[in-house]
Amino acid sequence: MTTTRTALELDSAVGVPLPRLDATAKVTGKASYAGDRALPGLLHGRPVLSPYAHARILGIDAGEALQIAGVHAVLTAADLPIRDGSGRAGEPLARSEVVFAGQPVALVVAETESAAEDAAEAVVVDYEPLPAVVDAEQALEPGSPPARIDEGSDESDVAMHGDAGGEGQEAESASTNVLSRHEFSEGDVETVLAECAAVVQGRFRTSWVHQTYLEPQVAVAWPEADGRLVVRSSTQGIFYTRQLLARVLGLPLPSVRVEAATLGGGFGGKIGLIDPLVAAAALAIGRPVRIALTRSEDFAAGNPAPGFVIDLRVGARADGTLAALDGKVVIDSGAFSEMSPAPLAAGRLGGPYRFEAWRAQAYGVRTNRFGAGAYRGPTAPQTAFALETLLDELADELGIDRVELRLHNTPDQGDLRLDGSRWPLIGLRETLEAVREHPLWLGRSELPPNEGVGLAVGLFPGGKMGAAATCRMDADGGFTVVTGYVDMTGTETGIAAIAAATLGVPFDQVRVAAGDTDAAPQSGVSGGSMVTYSLGPAVVAAAADAREQVIRIVSEELEIDPSDLELADGAVRPVGSPQRGVSLADLGARLTGFGSKHPPVEGHGTALNPEIAPSAAASLAHVRVDPDTGRVEVLALVAAQDVGRAINPALCRGQMWGGAAQAIGFALHESLVHDEDGQLLTSSFLNYSVPTSEAVPPIETIIVEVPSPHGPLGARGIGESAIVPGAAAIANAVAAVTGHRFRELPIRPEQVWQAIREATGGDAEQ
Amino acid sequence: VIPVTFEYVRPDTVEEALEALSDPDAKVLAGGHSLVPLMKLRIARPSRLVDISGLDLRGVDGDPGELRIGALTTYDDLLRLDSEALPAALRECAASVGDVQVRNAGTVGGGIAHGDPASDLAAGVLALDGRLQLRSPAGTRECDAESFFLGPFTTAIEQQELLTAVLVRRHEPGEGSAYVSIDDPASGFPLAGAAVRVRIEDGKVEECRVGLTGIGAHPLRAQVVEEALSDGDGPAVREAVAQLEPAHADERAEYGRQLTVIAITRAAEIASQRATAGGPG
Repeated sequence: MTTTRTALELDSAVGVPLPRLDATAKVTGKASYAGDRALPGLLHGRPVLSPYAHARILGIDAGEALQIAGVHAVLTAADLPIRDGSGRAGEPLARSEVVFAGQPVALVVAETESAAEDAAEAVVVDYEPLPAVVDAEQALEPGSPPARIDEGSDESDVAMHGDAGGEGQEAESASTNVLSRHEFSEGDVETVLAECAAVVQGRFRTSWVHQTYLEPQVAVAWPEADGRLVVRSSTQGIFYTRQLLARVLGLPLPSVRVEAATLGGGFGGKIGLIDPLVAAAALAIGRPVRIALTRSEDFAAGNPAPGFVIDLRVGARADGTLAALDGKVVIDSGAFSEMSPAPLAAGRLGGPYRFEAWRAQAYGVRTNRFGAGAYRGPTAPQTAFALETLLDELADELGIDRVELRLHNTPDQGDLRLDGSRWPLIGLRETLEAVREHPLWLGRSELPPNEGVGLAVGLFPGGKMGAAATCRMDADGGFTVVTGYVDMTGTETGIAAIAAATLGVPFDQVRVAAGDTDAAPQSGVSGGSMVTYSLGPAVVAAAADAREQVIRIVSEELEIDPSDLELADGAVRPVGSPQRGVSLADLGARLTGFGSKHPPVEGHGTALNPEIAPSAAASLAHVRVDPDTGRVEVLALVAAQDVGRAINPALCRGQMWGGAAQAIGFALHESLVHDEDGQLLTSSFLNYSVPTSEAVPPIETIIVEVPSPHGPLGARGIGESAIVPGAAAIANAVAAVTGHRFRELPIRPEQVWQAIREATGGDAEQ
Repeated sequence: VIPVTFEYVRPDTVEEALEALSDPDAKVLAGGHSLVPLMKLRIARPSRLVDISGLDLRGVDGDPGELRIGALTTYDDLLRLDSEALPAALRECAASVGDVQVRNAGTVGGGIAHGDPASDLAAGVLALDGRLQLRSPAGTRECDAESFFLGPFTTAIEQQELLTAVLVRRHEPGEGSAYVSIDDPASGFPLAGAAVRVRIEDGKVEECRVGLTGIGAHPLRAQVVEEALSDGDGPAVREAVAQLEPAHADERAEYGRQLTVIAITRAAEIASQRATAGGPG
């Protein structure tokens, strides 16, 4: 796919694999994270976590803990200045009823972390254990015990994702554990299914999966002398966090200032989880308080991706046309569900395909496990696993090539999506064609024994949001772009390239500053694959505005029409007589000094894209299965993705590599396991398996460019789609080797071994 | 990541170290890669750490029949020895431990003394008729590896006793050894690890030793498996493994036995090839 480049972009920073602006500081350990900065009078908080999944708190005795030297206070829910107690943010410490094992019930605040930890061990909490609801399907049953007694369903539970559509119908189940139900339908599914030449179906399960960011949750909060609250946090969204804290703490919005620090990974998991506790503690005590969760605490008290049970039926006509889809997802939203992705699931069931008729339902169910959170491409990898497994079966049943089946059902722009909206232009066809011709796919039937190749596609629709940015000229003639978006995945590097290309200056003449909530332009959460896509057009507008101001000033000084001026080689100069130019360095110095004859240069830009720009992704997975142990080794992955326009190809490949690696985790490793009492059995990296470098093979990336009509220079939001198809491709590859369709993720070696043994009649023993 | 407060001492001599260990809650610190993680999680709560890194216990020597490995020898030190000097099983055990950082800092003595039921190195030491040299105020004693490992994180070391060296036999002509482990993908510790040493004469197994790890309460020598391997009978290995006490009594036991059989079978095959091929086994 070729794209036309305008003269403006020639020799620019766009399309070039420039190193990330933050790379050196991060790899040399010099980046400053939220927990790193020393503050005068800083106290350290250590949480006391509930050992019970469901219990009533009868009393908390802090007497012994308070005797420990250096201990300042032991806070309980009653001590926190919470004004709006709804949802998880409103209950940073459990009030009277513990609803998951790992829930903070008290906070020790001390001069040192070790004193606080000693005291946390000495806090005695008197619990009355209650029946724990751990199984989401059982929680759905009318007779299920409630996962929460004191408060039933909570209206604010679906606040984050909003009502993602579907009729808010009366839940058919009488269980109070059902928190949400969403349904999309079109046509008469049963009638169309009856007409189909082939119908395939299955029940699929996926596990709770942790985001496993490198830096556990951490924040520091302090009250200023004037009474304002400041929070420095490892957060994905400073404005979101400010609004959340103002609501929960009952403070006027201007009384809260939130500043971002270098984010040590987020993946959707750092959106206001720890900030309410830190902020409330700092206000309660009147001194700076820092809480940095340990890895085990982050496992126990985090907000991971929830577990899914997916019942899916798909029917196709003899020519391979997907006719009908009938799906139901039960999502274990855990004990707190305001961040649960349950409202997104129904719309994802149909993947990136066109159907004639459908019924797609999703239930969010309350259990006594964590609280569900967002994780890169929420609900997409899970639903893609179910759908892409069934599409392979459907292709086989109909005798149609697997790629052809998928190509045949690629939607055209304007076709209906399950949620009733219309498909924008997507590059699914081009992405599929890129992997169809790959040697790995073409040679899939000529592999050594026990090896196989699987294919899958997927996408996450991504979000869009209004965005604003400024672009000012500094005294040295360089430019600073100011945003309120937290740098994630190198977004600032991409933004700098977009600004440099728009301004017509070298990449190193552009800086990007992430302001705090006092100073930065209003900005959204860094999530939903939308930073570059949504902020980019605002940056283009701001940089273009700044450029125009520069040209106009020089035009006045030289008395030359702006159209006869060009910005090149660090100067604004008349076309044809470069020696008469005004250097940007000179201009910057003059504009910022006393006696300047012109106002300073500051460009402003705002933007709102009219529609989303989904990025289609396809994966090929090459696996080897050891029939004696059931172990699956991923030998190679090929990731193809429509990025719209690769503003920085190195960053695009980084997203594709990272997504593919996390997909291996979904497929073969990651599972947060609770026992029947709701105790977390996987509370450290000793028993929660993530794909380490040894388990991640070389990943070949194929960048496909089908420009978005709205993204900056054609770019699409790519972060989330990168994780979507990989696990399904690996599952399809394992099926290619074993002949067995695994319907649960992660695929466990024991199950593979058992399946092979059963298939060979027990002869797989040697 | 926040240990309980402890006292730290770093003696210069073995005698001083033994004196420092008179505190019943004192623990020896060598490379720290087993103990420190447990301290961070507050599972281990020693009142005093006796850091023995200043003692002269690092290095490998011995005589033609036996290798003497100082307790402070790191895994990486072992891996840097000539392949002639180190039985293959022990090399493969050391290579299987942790990652580069762990192998650079972790010590042979520390790993053995920790008594982890899934210690890689223990399997090799058992298969190589290992003996542990222990110093106490009363003097020096030696303990056979077979009677050293007593239970999970429990060994024959007394409180005021220091493991100073690990002794293993070198290969004789016609001998070969190998270590094969199937590791837990999370921890990297073996779910089943087997070190096998065989001596083959005229195509016949004359002697066989099997050290197993990861499969039970502690690393162990499996004589029933040795007999099965000596008979050269494949199914017999499976029957022998069925006689061992599994790490899990539940539905995981069957798969655990399968992994054990596979680890033994593969290690035995490689060891036999090495024994037959001659050269460094």
